[in-house]
Amino acid sequence: MTIKLNPDQSRVLNWRIKSGGVAGVIGPAGCGKTTTGSFLAVKMICEGYAKNVLLVAFTNSAANEFARELSMVLGPEGSKFLCVRSGYAPGADPRLPIPFSNNIELVRAKKIVICTTQSLKRLSASIRFENMIIDEAGIERLEHLLSPFALGINQLGIHLIKENISYEANNIIELASKCGIVATVVGDPKQSRPIGLADYDLSAMEWVLKCARYDTLYTTHRLPDKLAMLVDEFADYGGLNSSPEIASRRFEAIHDIDENFIEILNPEVITWVNLNGNEMMAGPSSWYNEVEAKACVRICCELKRVAPSKSISIVTRYTEQRRTILKYLQHLDIESRVLTTTGALGTQADIVIFSLVRNNPERLVGALGSLQDLNVAISRSKEKLIIVGSFEMMLNGVTSSYNLNPRHKQNFPQKLARLVDKKYGMVVEAPKILYK
Amino acid sequence: MDVEEGTENINLNTDIIDVRKTYDYLRKCQTHLVQSSEIATACVCQNLFKLDYPFGATRSDKDYLVANTVHDIMSICMGGPIFENWHRGLENYEQITKKIVKESSEIVNTIIKDTSEIAHRENRFVEDTFELQVNDIYNGLIMGMTRRLMKKHERPSRVLTEVTITNIKDHHEGRIDAILEYSNGYGLLDWKSYDLSNTISGREKWQLIANTLLANFRYRRSEDDWTGHNFSCIVHNSGVYFPKAETTRKEVERIKTNRKFAHMILCGERVRVQRPKFCPVCDKGLEGSKECLFYQRDARLAYEGKLPAQYEKMTKQFFAKRYAILKERAETHLHKHVVFSLISKHGEEEALRRLEKIGILCRGYSFDFDIDEKVVFSRADDNIPLEPRRIVRIIGIEEGKSILSCINEQASVMEVRNNKITLSFRSKIAVRRAKRQLFHLPIILLRDELNLTRSMLRPIHQFHKLAADVLIPAELLV
Repeated sequence: MTIKLNPDQSRVLNWRIKSGGVAGVIGPAGCGKTTTGSFLAVKMICEGYAKNVLLVAFTNSAANEFARELSMVLGPEGSKFLCVRSGYAPGADPRLPIPFSNNIELVRAKKIVICTTQSLKRLSASIRFENMIIDEAGIERLEHLLSPFALGINQLGIHLIKENISYEANNIIELASKCGIVATVVGDPKQSRPIGLADYDLSAMEWVLKCARYDTLYTTHRLPDKLAMLVDEFADYGGLNSSPEIASRRFEAIHDIDENFIEILNPEVITWVNLNGNEMMAGPSSWYNEVEAKACVRICCELKRVAPSKSISIVTRYTEQRRTILKYLQHLDIESRVLTTTGALGTQADIVIFSLVRNNPERLVGALGSLQDLNVAISRSKEKLIIVGSFEMMLNGVTSSYNLNPRHKQNFPQKLARLVDKKYGMVVEAPKILYK
Repeated sequence: MDVEEGTENINLNTDIIDVRKTYDYLRKCQTHLVQSSEIATACVCQNLFKLDYPFGATRSDKDYLVANTVHDIMSICMGGPIFENWHRGLENYEQITKKIVKESSEIVNTIIKDTSEIAHRENRFVEDTFELQVNDIYNGLIMGMTRRLMKKHERPSRVLTEVTITNIKDHHEGRIDAILEYSNGYGLLDWKSYDLSNTISGREKWQLIANTLLANFRYRRSEDDWTGHNFSCIVHNSGVYFPKAETTRKEVERIKTNRKFAHMILCGERVRVQRPKFCPVCDKGLEGSKECLFYQRDARLAYEGKLPAQYEKMTKQFFAKRYAILKERAETHLHKHVVFSLISKHGEEEALRRLEKIGILCRGYSFDFDIDEKVVFSRADDNIPLEPRRIVRIIGIEEGKSILSCINEQASVMEVRNNKITLSFRSKIAVRRAKRQLFHLPIILLRDELNLTRSMLRPIHQFHKLAADVLIPAELLV
């Protein structure tokens, strides 16, 4: 094994290796949830704690991440021998050494099976997994959480269990634990959206945490010191810190920066570009902001010029803004990732540009005001975060009924604006060129 | 000039706000649609419908590869060799059957090859006799058509296959296998890949009649207007079944009652189930009967107050989740309801203009080219309000038809680049069909959604059963 675990990860590993039932592992951005999950699976198999392990993720890219980590832990030969990737063939990364198959006999013969939630139905109901690791990121429905559990039920043991535990289970998670399901759900309740249609509903991770034991990872290997501190205070993690080797990481340009962008592309980790463009309605519930879209593309162009090797992601809450930005990028023939906050979950980039979009005289921030969306947007970058949008709007923003979550009665846009301005970053006025 | 621009902006915003308000209003309403197949299930037994919704107990895990392949073949051949060789009152039907089979052999072989390839790629089980079975059923269907259908009916002026019709007013939607258009009306065909004489439920007949109501709606804008209806029939492996006109009319009431029942159940209302004297599933002990009896027992124990408190508490959670999933099912039909509502309010042209402004639908596309299951369309400007992965309904506007009953296909957006949009269809066959009957019409792309609620309900059902196994005392389970 070439990867070393940090003390948090080792603690979680030692705890979960011997304890049964359903449990949660909270991992803020970059804390190595996938790494911990993959190590756990390997340890279970190598030390004989389980005969087979199922690794489940909601998206194909997250399932591929599991496969990537496993191949790093086990090496190409080991991963080829022990693991199989199952589900939707075009979604699997062919560059990884882990073979792909939906053949039930082959799947049964392997020790570690990687699959997406949606593809679980391709696995036969007759397979039972002694242990499972579920990546909660992206799960917005309870049934997505429950479908892997169904493959862990010890049907034969139910009647024996019934003798001892009848009438004790009060909720589905307890019931699952009592029926012999051993599952570790890794995720972050402060990044996940609620399950169900109501915005004040619990997220899948909160659902697990409410009824099961859990532990938290506190060391991030992605966010540099200031960004880790901002995210920690913004989302109230209670002690998120940067690992020493990346704490002082800063953005450095290779070429001279254009004078219009000097203030924006400063070495500060967090920069808020105060820009006042008008928001426009689109679709049944989406918004876009042309001025911001053009500004993001201009900043992206400059970044590509001065630091061509850096990866850049543009993140926004709104699908329509994503479409508008993509349109301008295509016009200029620039390749760059543009993601919505939902799509950005689980991704990272050296530099992240976050477009706020909302700007109106009523100061209604709408869906942008949710903790989960803002948290995802600010916690993707490895070197620099650039927030583009009206600072005044966010500072005085009114959160709508969307945010009347009884558990989170806070004005998150305001909190973010204050933390950036007063403690962890700097607010700069947008240069005139960004309005053109 | 400034004033004019300002007025235009205000108008634009008013239009958009109007559409958004319609969305907000309809989100709070029930936007469920009942499928013809679901109505047919409810007609067999209302408990069977509840097994699908809200319980989520899938009755069968069978892979209908053969049946689906035959449907695909028929959908292409109907407008080709079958249509071209249609002669009324044939005596030597065997000769014509052979001719049609011979002329369609290329289509049949291509579809069999494509389907086998896809099935192998997806690691689905393909029987050794797959090709044989498909050919056998196809030949049987052709024989039935030449012997019975062509004998009785003229060659139609046009044939449409796999047409999805939505009747919002009556909460009804269905996909018709084939519609034959005549100068004086229309006829309906439904393919069945098995022998009808072996079936006992009558489900096929009800599905056909439910679809006939949709056809009435498509051609006459009212499901009760039978003036254009010529015939409806089921073409099956060993012949053609024509329900009598009196039977059809008599069963319409039953269809409507069960459609109402299904709609009320989907909306979460409490409806008393009318169990038939004989249920072909439970009374015969067929697939699904165990599940059905499980929920019947659950209801009985709950009524008698014998269920343990923990179990009752847990089942309440399960039902809350089930109805939340059903609410999502309703949301998949939201765009169609908005279209209907705006058309009723402003008329078709104005409604389409407003919807286009807000990006719910887009017009002005023309077909460029296709590669396998991908199709590229282009339009004059590059303002395409769609993004990759969005599901769209491609509608070919037909004169005099309601927009939601025009010919259409579903696809997902693959790529949007400048003024071109690439759509991914379900299969190469869907593309081939669309090229024949859809792409030459003025095209509208309307936002749509996939309905995945059945697979969402399934784990809830599994855990409901698990909870019963663990928490209900053994003596009550006997």
